[in-house]
Amino acid sequence: MEWLNDFLPLSLERMGIWIGAICTVALYSILYRENPAYRLFEHLFIGLAAGYSLGPLVGDILYKYWYLPLTEGAWWWAFAVPFGMWLYFIYSEKYGWVSRIVIGVLIGASAGLFFQQFCSLYVPQIYASFKPIIPTGANEGLLASNAINNFIFIVVLLSVLTYFLFSFEQRGPVKRTAVLGRWMLMIALGAIFGNTLMARMALLVGRVYYLLHDWLMQI
Amino acid sequence: MQQQNIWTKLIRVDRRILYLILFLNIAVFLMFPFKMPATITSPARGLYDAVDSLQPNDLVMISSNWSASTMAENQPQLEAIIKHLIRKGARFTLVSNEAQSRDLSKRIAVGVTQSSDNAEYHTYGQKWAHLGFVTDLIAAIRGMGSNLSEAVKQDVEGTPIDQLPVLQGAKSLKDYKMVIDVTPSGTLPYWISYRPPNLIVGYAPTSVMAAEGFTYLDSKQLVGMITGLKGAHEYEQLMGETGLGHKFINAISFSHVLILLFIGLGNLAMIMARRAQGEA
Repeated sequence: MEWLNDFLPLSLERMGIWIGAICTVALYSILYRENPAYRLFEHLFIGLAAGYSLGPLVGDILYKYWYLPLTEGAWWWAFAVPFGMWLYFIYSEKYGWVSRIVIGVLIGASAGLFFQQFCSLYVPQIYASFKPIIPTGANEGLLASNAINNFIFIVVLLSVLTYFLFSFEQRGPVKRTAVLGRWMLMIALGAIFGNTLMARMALLVGRVYYLLHDWLMQI
Repeated sequence: MQQQNIWTKLIRVDRRILYLILFLNIAVFLMFPFKMPATITSPARGLYDAVDSLQPNDLVMISSNWSASTMAENQPQLEAIIKHLIRKGARFTLVSNEAQSRDLSKRIAVGVTQSSDNAEYHTYGQKWAHLGFVTDLIAAIRGMGSNLSEAVKQDVEGTPIDQLPVLQGAKSLKDYKMVIDVTPSGTLPYWISYRPPNLIVGYAPTSVMAAEGFTYLDSKQLVGMITGLKGAHEYEQLMGETGLGHKFINAISFSHVLILLFIGLGNLAMIMARRAQGEA
């Protein structure tokens, strides 16, 4: 009896949990068959997620970064809105060129930022791909196991890079190296898919835990 | 003929029965937990060691960019990391590039800090704060890298950044020691590219995204990584804690065993059925 009183949606907290449980069961009902409850809750979810995003966007972004500075004397922020709205000229055949000014600014800024990103991301990786495979004076502490690992790394790296050489017809040793590269890619994709499966299972486990722990209070 | 029927039936088994078995398997392992030791991977050890080497009052930024759809993986990770930061006495701030995560991560941080024995964390703003939602992470990182209070004017509760006790003495991201990106999406490259060079980066992705992290681990652009729920479990084990990772890991492991069994049986059934067909 005590369990039943706790279980029923008699408080605001319990009502929230019940709504969560009903949503979960309705969305998983697709596994049985296509049904109107699933469709209803799917649309509810999409609508809620989109509406929810609007709140932080207005409160945390427009208010904090646009309205507040504007009201504190940074009058030039007033130009940000009309400038941004020039994008909508894209729908006009006559004045479409106006939108290209905003698009140009966005592309220019993004290109500059991504140039920095490219250098920061890939230069250290290129540097890290130079791995020692033969013990010399510069790497006396190189263990045999490390040398083998590094050798495998270099073989895989070169074979996969060879696979992506599309500028000329691959023949002979180049083709065989490219085939090895393709095999390596397949193995990597298989490992990534294994991770994907783990992620999906985790989501299911999370929902089952919610049903058993929060809703049914059995754990 | 009898053998052919069994294999054919196995191939044609209704997929809903498989879903039901999977659901029951998960429910059983959640309801009857037992402790299974985790093999600690070196990326998880790397992140643990990096956090463990922090000094009291060191500042850490947690970039929490997940939504309700990946809560099962990202919540245990975030909880474990916050617990460890509290244990080390480090100060931390959260920032979200995902609207839902602003409230979800704050709720989790409130829960973990309130249940902690360290009373310093019980008052919001003292040792930790949430800097709210940012739409453009690149602009936010670059802005915070030069002037924190200019880039993030107020925290999630509307308090000006320079009035938060947790950020006393911190002018920009350069005054932080570490950033940990808890994310199901591709936000990591932004932190690696645009952070101040002194800031070390830790990564807590969902399992799907983990493959992307290994290249950065290899080039030492990351100090460590915890992969999804398994990573959270490893992290909890390193801390000697029992959290959500411990509760979920058996259900995950045995559902993997079940799926391998299904794949094995399905393929065996197909081969046997084809063989029987050939004989007939």
